[in-house]
Amino acid sequence: MFKQRISKSTGRAFALLAAMLLLAACGSGAGGGAEGGAGSAGADGSGADGAIRVVTTIAQIAEPISVIGGGRVQVTSLMGPGVDPHLYQASQSDIRKLGSADIIFCNGLHLEANMLRAFEEIGKSRPVLAVGEAIAEDRLLTDETGAVDPHVWFDIDLWKEALGAAVEELKKLSPDDAEFFEANKRDYFAKMDELKEEAVRKMASVPEKRRVLVTAHDAFGYFGRMLGLEVVGLQGLSTEDEIGLSDIERTIGLLVERRVPAVFVESSINPKSIEAVIEGAKERGLNVRLGGELFSDAMGGAGTEEGTYLGMFRHNVDTIYEALTGEE
Amino acid sequence: MEPVLQVRGLHAAYRRTKVLDHVTFDVMPGTLTAIIGPNGAGKSTLLKTMLDLHPRLGGEVRFFGTAYRNAKLKVGYVPQRGSVDWDFPTDALDVVLMGLYGRIGWFRRPGRRHRELALEALDKMGMADFAKRQISELSGGQQQRVFLARALVQDADLYLLDEPLAGVDAATERAIMEMLRTLRAAGKTVMVVHHDLQTVEDDFDHVLMLNRTVIAHGPTTEIFTQDTIARTYGGWLRRKERVTG
Amino acid sequence: MMGLSHNALWVLASMLMLGTAAGLAGCFAYWKRQSLMSDALAHAALPGVVIGFAILGFKSLPVMLLGAAASALLGAWAVTAIRAHSRVKEDTAMGIILSVFFGLGIMLLTMVNRMPGGGQSGLDGFIFGQAAAMVRQDMRTMTAVAAVVLLVVLISFKEWKLYLFDPAFARGIGLSGRLMEAAYLTLLVVIIVIGIQAVGVILMAALLIIPAVSARYWTNAFGTMLALSALFGGGAGVAGTYVSTLGDGWPTGPFIVIAAAGFFLLSLVFGTRKGLFVKAMQRRAQMRRLKPQAVRRDPLAEGEALP
Repeated sequence: MFKQRISKSTGRAFALLAAMLLLAACGSGAGGGAEGGAGSAGADGSGADGAIRVVTTIAQIAEPISVIGGGRVQVTSLMGPGVDPHLYQASQSDIRKLGSADIIFCNGLHLEANMLRAFEEIGKSRPVLAVGEAIAEDRLLTDETGAVDPHVWFDIDLWKEALGAAVEELKKLSPDDAEFFEANKRDYFAKMDELKEEAVRKMASVPEKRRVLVTAHDAFGYFGRMLGLEVVGLQGLSTEDEIGLSDIERTIGLLVERRVPAVFVESSINPKSIEAVIEGAKERGLNVRLGGELFSDAMGGAGTEEGTYLGMFRHNVDTIYEALTGEE
Repeated sequence: MEPVLQVRGLHAAYRRTKVLDHVTFDVMPGTLTAIIGPNGAGKSTLLKTMLDLHPRLGGEVRFFGTAYRNAKLKVGYVPQRGSVDWDFPTDALDVVLMGLYGRIGWFRRPGRRHRELALEALDKMGMADFAKRQISELSGGQQQRVFLARALVQDADLYLLDEPLAGVDAATERAIMEMLRTLRAAGKTVMVVHHDLQTVEDDFDHVLMLNRTVIAHGPTTEIFTQDTIARTYGGWLRRKERVTG
Repeated sequence: MMGLSHNALWVLASMLMLGTAAGLAGCFAYWKRQSLMSDALAHAALPGVVIGFAILGFKSLPVMLLGAAASALLGAWAVTAIRAHSRVKEDTAMGIILSVFFGLGIMLLTMVNRMPGGGQSGLDGFIFGQAAAMVRQDMRTMTAVAAVVLLVVLISFKEWKLYLFDPAFARGIGLSGRLMEAAYLTLLVVIIVIGIQAVGVILMAALLIIPAVSARYWTNAFGTMLALSALFGGGAGVAGTYVSTLGDGWPTGPFIVIAAAGFFLLSLVFGTRKGLFVKAMQRRAQMRRLKPQAVRRDPLAEGEALP
């Protein structure tokens, strides 16, 4: 009966829609993480010069491994600076990277909460090591609900264990380089011990009652334990929860009670809640300063001092030390 | 006498179809004109296009010798009843008051005098008792009367009504036609988009026969003939055959 | 006020203002039959927030809010364009824009999260909102917005009534439809852009839709409906905030929405006009009036006349 031709404008509207959807699909394949280590990339198998292809989730694993492994490894980390690993979801390009790795290191302990499925899949064809889970359970921290605190890289000794386990895997993959790895590891660990001594010394000189570290989420449990600081996070262990008024009020109460001079924001967390804490404390007569930005779940930019594990750690220690010993 | 409405070469389209083609006519004061034609002939579109409610593709329209925007207060428009949501939470008096908004002015509240005028208009349409009734509770005929009261309260010189008698009861129809005649007697001009061929001769002194273009226009007694009716509706009948054939 | 902290009071005041403003504007959207538009606009704001950050490279609230407003308006324009140039109905068009823009926003957010340099933390705060982090400045902003909305509504009350009821007639007597449409959109977008910081893109529509619908069950007058809608909106803001202070770690935004829904349920059942309870009572009264008439049970015998 009637013949209806799709009008030109309808066609155009649908074309625009299709283009947007296509863009969305392609976009999820874009993006990359930080790269470290030497060696050129090969399409399949190990690198062109035989370097072990290591893929990690967080840079706190990637950077030390790239130092310890030197030219014998080629390390990529999926999550760059400013990325929140609690919320991170793997993209198509991440899956591809994982698929072409010789070995995969992740933190485990539920840090990369949204990537568990991806690891399960990848684990079927590629070796995956959760370095955090190599640590003895009784040395881990848990919160009131029994959840394990995954931020283990903030305890130098624990992190040595985790990195050690990773290095053992590297030795298995390339037994010829075992001595090379071992030597580098010893050097690196020496630097870590040095850092720990420095940190302990500095924190010990902060007056006892000022030793409170208030941050956006509970990432610094191990940090606090190692250095004798009481740690209070606005959010719980994971940034997946929304901050409630009771969290803010509780934190303000603690600040006022202990007359803590500074609170800290984190590079990967929304600063608005910390700002609310500061203003609330001001109302109650306490002038809390913003002590600075700490690196919690992520490290600094590639190529900077804070982009290295040791540099990041040192930055945190210095920032906290200066803020807590400053005038009130 | 100057015509109150002059239309020259009016063109309009609805989506892709040409709905008004070279429409040209004059309307003299004190006339009561029926606009008739088959469905899709452009009757409603004619009113809307003249009132700048629908885009005009060409042609010129003069109200009282000037453009519509300068003559707005002299033109009263009663749109089709189905063009509004009668569930809206308001009462009959409020709707009629809307006709006075142009005179009340922006940012001002309606005063007592305005309310009295509105009540008078409702009374003229026999709806005084329904002033405070929710419009959602009114019957079709009552709604139409309220619409008409709103037009009356504008005290315009030219009234354009779009199918005011569609779907109303006999009593309302009589009341409306009587009101239109009263308006004419007072020297006003009225044009009505009408759907019922039977009543044209009795009720309207002029008729505008429209089928995308003006087929005929003039005093009913002169131009409302079998021939013009056939020419106005015949083409449509032929088109209808092609569709079902 | 019962020992509430300063933070709680700021949040309370902010949510009261936001709820009131949203209740008022939501009424307009309701009568334009565009309640879904509020949702579409809120979701469409997300890409703008992210782009606002990406362009500068760091977080600047004014720029992000401007971006949010721009992309929300772009979404509104897209809806009208789709409606004008295709056979797609308005609610379908709104649904399309809602999902496409939101998806685009999520995609951009993901891309930005991989950008080196950091500082992109907190962009996802716009998705779910952070009502608990409202401070004095937010309270001032929300109050200003509410005041503006209230002013616009009060000053041109009859113009809004006419525009919503019969836009064609309105145009006829000189009320520019385009001006009213622009004012309406502006109000909506401003409320949305300010509000998503508190309750997020996903829940913002709830504040714009639920109070208006609830008010409908209580009144047949447009003015009263506006007032009630503002009351329900503001009330939900206050009630939700207060409840969220009672529990440990309870999020404020969602509780506000639950409070609004609670008001809706109450209105649905007990509303004096069209409420279920009232309707049941009316039916009961009608039945009682009819009872005295004999109800004939046997069929008529042949030749018998009807009583």
